[in-house]
Amino acid sequence: MNRKRISSGDRGLDEVLSGGFPENMIHVLMGAPGTGKTILAEQLVFGNATSKRPALYLSTLSEPLEKFISNTQGYAFFNPAAVASEVLFEDLGRPLIEKGFAALPELIAEFLTQRKPKILVIDSFKALSELASGLEERRKVLFETATLFANYDCTVFLVGEYASEDVTELPIFAIADSIVSLNKTGLAGGEHRFIRVEKFRGSSSLPGPHTFAISERGLQVYPRLVSPATFGTYKMADDRVATGIKGLDELIGKGFWVGSTTLLAGPTGAGKTMLGLQFLRHGATTGEPALYVGFQENPVQLERVMAGLGWTGEKVQEKRAFEILYRSPVEMRVDEVASAILERVRQGKVKRIVIDALGDLKRRSPDPSRFSDYIYALMQWFAVRQVTCLMTYELGELFEFHRISGEEISNMSDNVLLLRFTPGARMKRTLRVVKTRGSAHDQEEHVLEITRKGVSVVGAWSEKGKGKNRS
Amino acid sequence: MVVERNPIVQRLEKFFLEQAGYSVEFATDGLSALARAQELRPAFLVTEILVPKLDGLAVCKRLKANAETRSIVVLIFSHLDAEERALEVGADAFLRKPIEDELLVDTLQKLITKHRESSRGEP
Repeated sequence: MNRKRISSGDRGLDEVLSGGFPENMIHVLMGAPGTGKTILAEQLVFGNATSKRPALYLSTLSEPLEKFISNTQGYAFFNPAAVASEVLFEDLGRPLIEKGFAALPELIAEFLTQRKPKILVIDSFKALSELASGLEERRKVLFETATLFANYDCTVFLVGEYASEDVTELPIFAIADSIVSLNKTGLAGGEHRFIRVEKFRGSSSLPGPHTFAISERGLQVYPRLVSPATFGTYKMADDRVATGIKGLDELIGKGFWVGSTTLLAGPTGAGKTMLGLQFLRHGATTGEPALYVGFQENPVQLERVMAGLGWTGEKVQEKRAFEILYRSPVEMRVDEVASAILERVRQGKVKRIVIDALGDLKRRSPDPSRFSDYIYALMQWFAVRQVTCLMTYELGELFEFHRISGEEISNMSDNVLLLRFTPGARMKRTLRVVKTRGSAHDQEEHVLEITRKGVSVVGAWSEKGKGKNRS
Repeated sequence: MVVERNPIVQRLEKFFLEQAGYSVEFATDGLSALARAQELRPAFLVTEILVPKLDGLAVCKRLKANAETRSIVVLIFSHLDAEERALEVGADAFLRKPIEDELLVDTLQKLITKHRESSRGEP
């Protein structure tokens, strides 16, 4: 049966939940204190309540009702006009202490008949359950309460500070139709928040942990990057795109395949960013919208680099054909970056993309073990949407073509270009094509020149000839 | 009359129906519902299918087969998606749970009005 759904109030979380929380079911929102459960519950309450079918928010024994209301007022979703008409707050804790835990179904039934809510939130349900005299009473009362919920047209959210080990032990998890857990860790030198669907009865959901952030807008979820569902049915493009780098296209068979991904690896200062920018510039000026995703140079610094190439970014930005997506490497969240990229790719706003650099993404990845899966999924999206991508990767070794990466990124990439400096008093930058999937490529090492006119491949380099011109 | 085995659900149904102006009698199983319906001749009988001793569909079938109880309006109100089966046994209408109070009351209202109008037209 295709159930109607209640939006979580966040597009990302709705995507994880295949459209939202199914109506007329019991949903448990669990997690340690401070993980964002209450914000999520309040966000969905304010997003869905109407005066005809209000939402009823029952506070219990964890926080006084007054605190709930005052804490919520800082968020953008809070609508003071909706309080007491569309969103109703009531205290369930006090009457339950007076009447005892066994009176829970009776009290809730009273609220349901009087208020007729479309959405019911009980926060915290765990604190309430602790009033039970023992496991037997808790089971009996929960069973009756679940029966009540199953028989009334209302979607129920039970919020609680449950730990993962509670899932197999507490009876509430047996009656829950869905369980969504929120947690917080201090990985990779920063705070990471994750949301995960532990159980989702009768519906599919996106598996695994999904990054989320809390801001004044409320809770924003960035769904974990997975390969596109259309994988395998898309057509391979036969077209090539000119790189815009003089001398490079001839080395790789008339440019990159449309929708391919190229890994550009080399030491700092070797010209990776400049080469990437020039690749984008060529697209932006020939009708292929370009996106630069960077984590080191902020937009002002980047403007300076572009000005050095005789290219003022504003001119291209005026045509809306070039966008800079900058994220500080300190606060950046990998899934948020992926979400921002994919949004543009899905909307068809991008045809060329440069990601500068993979190492920054990897450092901020909360789970380095799945970093290559993440890049693989991203590459599949680019292939399906015919977006040609260049990813840079910084190598520590200046003079030698060193091991590229430990993440199998080079295996996954369609093309691999290596940059290095030649040793000696007059260092030169060089470029070597290591791999091109689906076409032959030049085998030699070539001199890469950076002038005010831009980046160009000027000729083969050899120890003997020291950078002779192309014949 | 309402046939519902669960007291907490009975409580909800009682509240909404009484609020709409009906006086409600409850039965918790199919057999006692049948006996009470024959005795009381209520204006309507709302029954869940999943009730003990005699299921709601069988209750409806027996009421509609008996000339003395045929005129009782029967609404099958169940978690089970069984509209076709309900109409096959002669139910006047089928509604799926959970309870949407306005829909329940409106449906009953319409059924009773329709029944009264057709009774008036009979010779």
